Amino acid sequence: MQFLAALLLMNVQLTKLAPVDVLILVLYFALVVFIGFYAKGKANTSEDFFLAGREMTAWIAGLSFVSANLGSLELMGWAGAAYQYGILAAHWYWIGAIPAMLFLGIVMMPFYYISKTHSVPGYLKLRFGEGARAVSAVSFAVMTILMSGVNMYAMALVMKTVLGWNISFSIWVGAATVALYVMLGGLRSAIINEVLQFVLIWAGAAMIPVLGLIEAGGWTKLKAQMAANLGTTDYGHLWSTLGSFKDNPMGVHWTGIVFGLGFVISFGYWTTDFLVVQRVLSANNLRAAKMAPVIGAAFKMAVPFIVIVPGLLALAVLRNPDGSLMHLVPESIAATTGQHSYNEVLPLMLIRYCGPGLLGLGITALVAGFMSGMAGNVSAFSTVWTYDLYGAFINKKASDKHYVAMGRWSTVIGMLVSIGTAYLVMNAASIMDYVQALFSFFIAPLFGTVILGMLWKRATHWGGFLGLLAGTMSSIGMFIWVQSDAGALHYIAMSPNAKPMAENLYRALWSWIICVLVTIVVSLVTEPVPTENLSGLVYGVTPIPHDGSTTIWQKPIFWAIVVIVVFFVLNLIFW
Amino acid sequence: MDKREREIESAELSIWFFCGILMLVYGVVLVITGIVELHDPPPNEVLLPWLEALHPTLWWGAVLTVFGGFYSIRFRPGRV
Repeated sequence: MQFLAALLLMNVQLTKLAPVDVLILVLYFALVVFIGFYAKGKANTSEDFFLAGREMTAWIAGLSFVSANLGSLELMGWAGAAYQYGILAAHWYWIGAIPAMLFLGIVMMPFYYISKTHSVPGYLKLRFGEGARAVSAVSFAVMTILMSGVNMYAMALVMKTVLGWNISFSIWVGAATVALYVMLGGLRSAIINEVLQFVLIWAGAAMIPVLGLIEAGGWTKLKAQMAANLGTTDYGHLWSTLGSFKDNPMGVHWTGIVFGLGFVISFGYWTTDFLVVQRVLSANNLRAAKMAPVIGAAFKMAVPFIVIVPGLLALAVLRNPDGSLMHLVPESIAATTGQHSYNEVLPLMLIRYCGPGLLGLGITALVAGFMSGMAGNVSAFSTVWTYDLYGAFINKKASDKHYVAMGRWSTVIGMLVSIGTAYLVMNAASIMDYVQALFSFFIAPLFGTVILGMLWKRATHWGGFLGLLAGTMSSIGMFIWVQSDAGALHYIAMSPNAKPMAENLYRALWSWIICVLVTIVVSLVTEPVPTENLSGLVYGVTPIPHDGSTTIWQKPIFWAIVVIVVFFVLNLIFW
Repeated sequence: MDKREREIESAELSIWFFCGILMLVYGVVLVITGIVELHDPPPNEVLLPWLEALHPTLWWGAVLTVFGGFYSIRFRPGRV
């Protein structure tokens, strides 16, 4: 996030759009608005508006599921991380996503789906009561609306830096477009645009790695060039440098990657963050709901090609106008020296390889990603606000029509709050770091609560509520500890050689462990929930209906095995 | 994809049609731009002569045109 502050201080725009680029961008906006009006006619009931009528196919729900996470902030940030840390950044796309996505599809989705919940806080209400739902819904609503504002500001800032556009112009045009199409078409409109965005991102970004690998002479020569430029081969290995904190550019240990990232953070995000789970809940049957995350996982595995490879290519081929190797620098240095920062690597590579037309396509893909990020947050906010806060605590017995109207109004109001957040962030960029951190406070413990709720029938209401609270508070406590005393990282990551990236991994792991321990202990000393109240919510007391698959090709578990085999092969290839 | 799913996608949602038509239009725009650039290469290609010889805008435009054209026809409105 700090890179946005650095961008703000730069006055020189990277490039400008040709008329054909503007045409490509305008065509995209026209189609997006058209989709909003198209979807409006199909968003009449609350089920239509908030869950797209639960009639999405596995492919659509799956692409939307993976696309909701594929925002431009994420693309640019991880391309920058690949430049900074090498191929280690791919862990966030592979072990940091694939096992969790498959687990969601095969193990957890049946419970979300057959409980007919409208949201993750809604599931918590069914399993742990109103207290857990309230904590989860309030924190989620606040976070999504703040994140939407951060996305909005990030888009405006990137457009200013790359193209020299006025910040307010970008904020208001982006926000108005997103508010229009989400308000009109609800989740259906958001999903159509997310699928469109996924295709656009590939269309706009795929040329960078393709042309980059041609320039580098292939993967082997790229690695050799990186090693020659950096004086080490560490940037080209996924696992072989993770035996010690000090042996790799990221300063992490394999235990942090496997347990912190691969288990807690990844499972927390992909299985309990309603922003992504909402997309799968829109599936038209149980098999589609199980297949959607599997399909999403297959596509997620390919994303490093357009995100990580460009970062690695920059290490090998990116040069200054005088022909010398270009050195990108951390944000703090870029802000004072005027050099380009790590996080500008994707736009820099885009400009390097793409002339008029292709450049417009790439910029449109970035804009689509930002807008999709906003739309995802606002549509999820609108659902949680209407179902889990307004409908649960303010007006319990309104008509379905009233809730749809509330969904539309909360979309507009949510977007206005996001705009306010964007301007707030403009004046105090450090707020963005805290918004990002706030998300991490809730996600890891929430996974502890949800997974125990689904798999352990002995977990009680008090156990779930207090476990969630203890995990969240401990995460906040560790964050404050490290902020006030950098030496605390030594204890949290259990090594004096740990770097800041390791803190996130181990803080998530500890907060999850604390949540699980507190939930177990409190549950064992409180009265169990009667088994008849747990039907449809907990493994072991819920008959899972057959998903309707008849041949092996239709079975989600078969495709999950295929994906996990490919996942292992990829990790071995890039070991 | 079974018959019912195809019906939902083609008759009601047409998500693939939206994707196809956008890619088709972009493909055509890129092909035209690429043809124009054959005789007037853009600055980035002048700086990278190896890139100029590849004509990436033209070729990528052709790929998008084929992809977009296929999806636009395959999932056109009203087709079951």
